[in-house]
Amino acid sequence: MVDVHLDPDVLSGLQEVMEGEYPKLLETFLDDSQKRIEALRTARDDAKALGKIAHSFKGSSGNLGAVRLAQLCERLELESGEPTANLEALVDQIDHEFAVVKPLYESERQRFQV
Amino acid sequence: MSALAPAHEALTILIADDSATDLLLLSTIVRRQGHQVLTAANGREAVEVFTRARPQLVLMDALMPVMDGFEAARWIKQLSGEALVPIIFLTSLTDSADLAECLDAGGDDFLAKPYNPLLLAAKINAMDRLRRLQATVLQQRDLIAKHNDYLLHEQRVAKAVFDKVAHSGCINAAPNIRYLQSPYALFNGDLLLAAYTPSGDMHVLLGDFTGHGLPAAVGAMPLAEVFYGMTAKGYGLTQILREMNAKLKRILPVDMFCCATLLCLSTDRRVVEVWNGGMPEGYVLEVTTGKRTPLASRHLPLGVLSAELFDDRTEVWPVALGDRVFLLSDGVLETADANDRLFGVERLQQVFDTNREPDRLFDDIEQALVAFRGEARDDVSMVEITLRSGLATRATGPLYADSGQSCPRDWSVNFEFRAETLKRYNPLPYLLQLLLEIHGLRAQSGALYSVMAELYSNALEHGVLGLDSLLKRDAQGFAEYYRQRNERLAQLDSGYVRVQVQVVPNGAGGTMTLRIEDSGPGFDVEKVLAQPMDIDRLSGRGLGLVRQLSRDIRWSDGGRCVCVEFSWEALA
Amino acid sequence: MSVESVVSPDGKKLTIVIKGRFDFSSHQLFRDAYEPFYKAPDTYIVDLKDTTYLDSSALGMLLLLRDHAGGDESEVRVINSNSDVRKILAISNFDKLFDIN
Repeated sequence: MVDVHLDPDVLSGLQEVMEGEYPKLLETFLDDSQKRIEALRTARDDAKALGKIAHSFKGSSGNLGAVRLAQLCERLELESGEPTANLEALVDQIDHEFAVVKPLYESERQRFQV
Repeated sequence: MSALAPAHEALTILIADDSATDLLLLSTIVRRQGHQVLTAANGREAVEVFTRARPQLVLMDALMPVMDGFEAARWIKQLSGEALVPIIFLTSLTDSADLAECLDAGGDDFLAKPYNPLLLAAKINAMDRLRRLQATVLQQRDLIAKHNDYLLHEQRVAKAVFDKVAHSGCINAAPNIRYLQSPYALFNGDLLLAAYTPSGDMHVLLGDFTGHGLPAAVGAMPLAEVFYGMTAKGYGLTQILREMNAKLKRILPVDMFCCATLLCLSTDRRVVEVWNGGMPEGYVLEVTTGKRTPLASRHLPLGVLSAELFDDRTEVWPVALGDRVFLLSDGVLETADANDRLFGVERLQQVFDTNREPDRLFDDIEQALVAFRGEARDDVSMVEITLRSGLATRATGPLYADSGQSCPRDWSVNFEFRAETLKRYNPLPYLLQLLLEIHGLRAQSGALYSVMAELYSNALEHGVLGLDSLLKRDAQGFAEYYRQRNERLAQLDSGYVRVQVQVVPNGAGGTMTLRIEDSGPGFDVEKVLAQPMDIDRLSGRGLGLVRQLSRDIRWSDGGRCVCVEFSWEALA
Repeated sequence: MSVESVVSPDGKKLTIVIKGRFDFSSHQLFRDAYEPFYKAPDTYIVDLKDTTYLDSSALGMLLLLRDHAGGDESEVRVINSNSDVRKILAISNFDKLFDIN
């Protein structure tokens, strides 16, 4: 179920809009996301900080067509406000999902770097 | 790719987003659409970039570190002042309270993530239209404000110039005139003028030009000059009216004219002579009886008819000491209340009816207007003139610069004015100008004019026209007298008035003898002079006045010829 | 406020109907109602049946029409004026210039 992880229509749209900047956008996203993954791990016990990071991560992963990653971030953003939520499990899922989409973006980037 | 086509003109757009991915994506889209992009990674940077580079439009992420988008938006709105710098919030917020906060902070629109380039281009274009609209509005507002300042300045200058002309008369100095006129009434076309004639009568004009603003004021200038110039020279109402009408007809466009009431109030003769063309009814108020005589509009306004068709007929009413003449502009009657009802003639009449204290009448009307409307209008003109006894003020002649060396000293002149002339020409102003060549007489010019005017009108009315002054016994006869005067004058085909002026030097001074002779049947001088001089009688007042003002008066030829002398000493 | 003009079938009579307030704001409309006619009508009729108010600039416009129609030789009739409007026409003595009924 590749399409759940990554929306190919979004990617082709981005490619059209960005033209030569497309690989750079993918690279920026990967760097950016790596930083956010680390920030999430560091902020494990701070629900408020988790919510903010998740909100921002949701925006960029949505823009880049990482559908499932964006959904997970949205859940984390919402549940960060609930005292009983199991935020740690969600952070793990986000970690896992990023590990899934990262190679997909990398190969997409390599496809366009001539 | 129309979606990516540049907007109306390339804009400088600031994008503030803490996500490097989103920032790169968005700036690429915006740049591709033809705009120049500035970026900021948080709110504080955004405010700094805005202050430095003044972009025309801002795309602002809501949640950012250091300073969030809401606060940055508030700063930017404050910094941009009156100009519209549209702020589009970039947000994945869905909670309506959060969206409302964006608007509260000064946001003009939203763009949801994930970005849709088509939608973004459309929003930038829409916001740019708003921005340009606002810029145009501001520019036009400033232009209008500038024009308005300019116009007000022009009006102030025009008013200052005009005040010198309009108030060169006695409107402010005369103790028997009360008036109400807004400072800028002139620019509503209202005009109020008053001046003394050489014989001490008072001429008053209340006029109302069509239109507003400078065009209305422009016509007022020549009107005022004719009024003051001719009044000072001793011209009567009919000549002044003819001159005013001809002048306005000549200079004004077809659709402009001046409604006017012109009146001559004579304390000496106890009469008011009135011509009303297009103004609301004025009133003569008899203080003793409370009777009101309306001064109705009988004529077309000034400046409408050609000289041939112009009707200069006046009405004459008797007045007693203390009686008042009241004139008003249509601004009084058209004063409207909150429901757009007009004050009207009936309400004005009610104020007259309930008034018991004539001295308070003017205030009563003013108060009634304020009570009716709640505030004063700026085109209300009212004037009240009271007939008072006491020393008559007379027109003061122009100041002469020469020392009198060139003045004629020993001469005489004879005139004979015949029927065709008597019908339509008043020779008095001309004769007065002639006599003022005698420098020694200038100090007495008022008395001289009064005596000459009385003797001339006696010669014309009782001599040539054969009118009986006894007719003027009561108010009704009075009106009849003037009706007959007009009728007989119109039908006159024979008769004359002769005027002889003889000037003889006497040392450094001299004597002027004025002789007036008419073609009438004469009168019984002994009998008329034997009658007591009753100042309150309407008839026969002329002779009493002449006998008061001149030392020496003699009749000859059975009353057909009268002679008076004026003498003067050496000039100081 | 509106101004309508109707020409009789024989082209000899132009009727101008003014509705609402007849004041300076109707200046251009009023002129447009009589100026464009190539063949001048013999008679002009100003119908004030639905005119609620008339000010001094409206009187000026009537003078313009009279001038356009030939001045002293013109035939301009003002008809159907209500009592308020008739009062204004009476004060200014416009019945001496126009056939008013």
